Amino acid sequence: MNEEEENLSEMESLRLINEMISKAKSSYVTTGAASMVWGALIVLCSLLTWLQIKLNYFFTVDVWLFTLVAVTFQVYFSIRERKRRNFIAHDETITTYVWSAFGICIFLLSFYGSKFGNNGQSINSLFMLLYGIPTFITGGVYKYKPMIVGGIICWILCVISMFTDNPVDMLLMAASGLFAWLIPGIILWRRYQTKRAASV
Amino acid sequence: MFKELDPILHSQLRLAVMSLLISVKEAEFTFLKEKTNATAGNLSVQMNKLKEAGYIEVIKQFKENYPQTICKITPKGIDAFEAYVLALQSYMNPNGQ
Repeated sequence: MNEEEENLSEMESLRLINEMISKAKSSYVTTGAASMVWGALIVLCSLLTWLQIKLNYFFTVDVWLFTLVAVTFQVYFSIRERKRRNFIAHDETITTYVWSAFGICIFLLSFYGSKFGNNGQSINSLFMLLYGIPTFITGGVYKYKPMIVGGIICWILCVISMFTDNPVDMLLMAASGLFAWLIPGIILWRRYQTKRAASV
Repeated sequence: MFKELDPILHSQLRLAVMSLLISVKEAEFTFLKEKTNATAGNLSVQMNKLKEAGYIEVIKQFKENYPQTICKITPKGIDAFEAYVLALQSYMNPNGQ
C-alpha cells in the first residue's frame, strides 16, 4: 500500500473494508484432516466392535483405546497448527471450549461405563447424543452445512439406537462417525486441495 | 446531513489495518504486513497513530527467542470503526433509504 495518505472516496473506503474483511476470512483455512482422522477412527472402531460381537471373538486389546492415541495426536497437531498461524480468529475460542468440553464428557462417559458396567444400549445412545453436540455447534459457528447435518444425523441415530440392540448400535455409531466427521472432513480436504492448487 | 469521517480511520493503510483487526481476535504484525502489502516502516508508523488514538492495543513479546508484535482492536476502536461505517453509509445513502 502507498506510503502517502491518499484521499479516499467513500466508495473506495467501503471497497477496502470489504476486501480486507474477505482477506482475513479467507486466511482461516482448515485442511479437514483432524475431522477425517477422528471420523475414520470412530467408523473403524465401531465396525471392529460390531465384527467382534458377530464373530463372538474378542481382541485382547480394547479397540476403543485407539481413540486415546488419536486424541493425543490431534492435540499435538492442533497446537502445532496454532503456533504456525499468525492470527487468532474470533470463533476459535468458542470451538476450543466446545471441543474441550466434548473430550471431557467422552472421557467421563467412558469412565462411567467401565465403572458401573457397560449397559450397552443406553451408553451407546449417549455417545451418539454427545457426538451431535460439538458437531452441530461447530457447523453453526462456521456456517458449514455438512457438519450441521452431521450433528442432526447423530441425534436421529441416537433415537434409533434406543430401539435397537448392541450389534446394530455399533453400525449406527459407525454411521454417526461417517456423517458427523468423515464426510465433512473429506469435503473440507478436497476444498483445501482445490484452493491450494489454485494459489500455486 | 453528512456525518464527519474520522480522520484517523480515513486513510488507506490505517483503514485496512482496522478492517483486518475487526475480523480477527488478534493478529501478529506479520499478518497485517502480509495482507496489506505495506512496508514494515510505513505499517509501524500508521499502527502507532492508531495506538495513540486508543483504537488498537499493541503487545510486544518474545516467542521462541524471536520478538513478536501482537495487535488487537480495542472497544474504543470498535466503536470508532462502527461510527466510521455508519458515516460512510450516510454518504452513500444521503436520504437514509
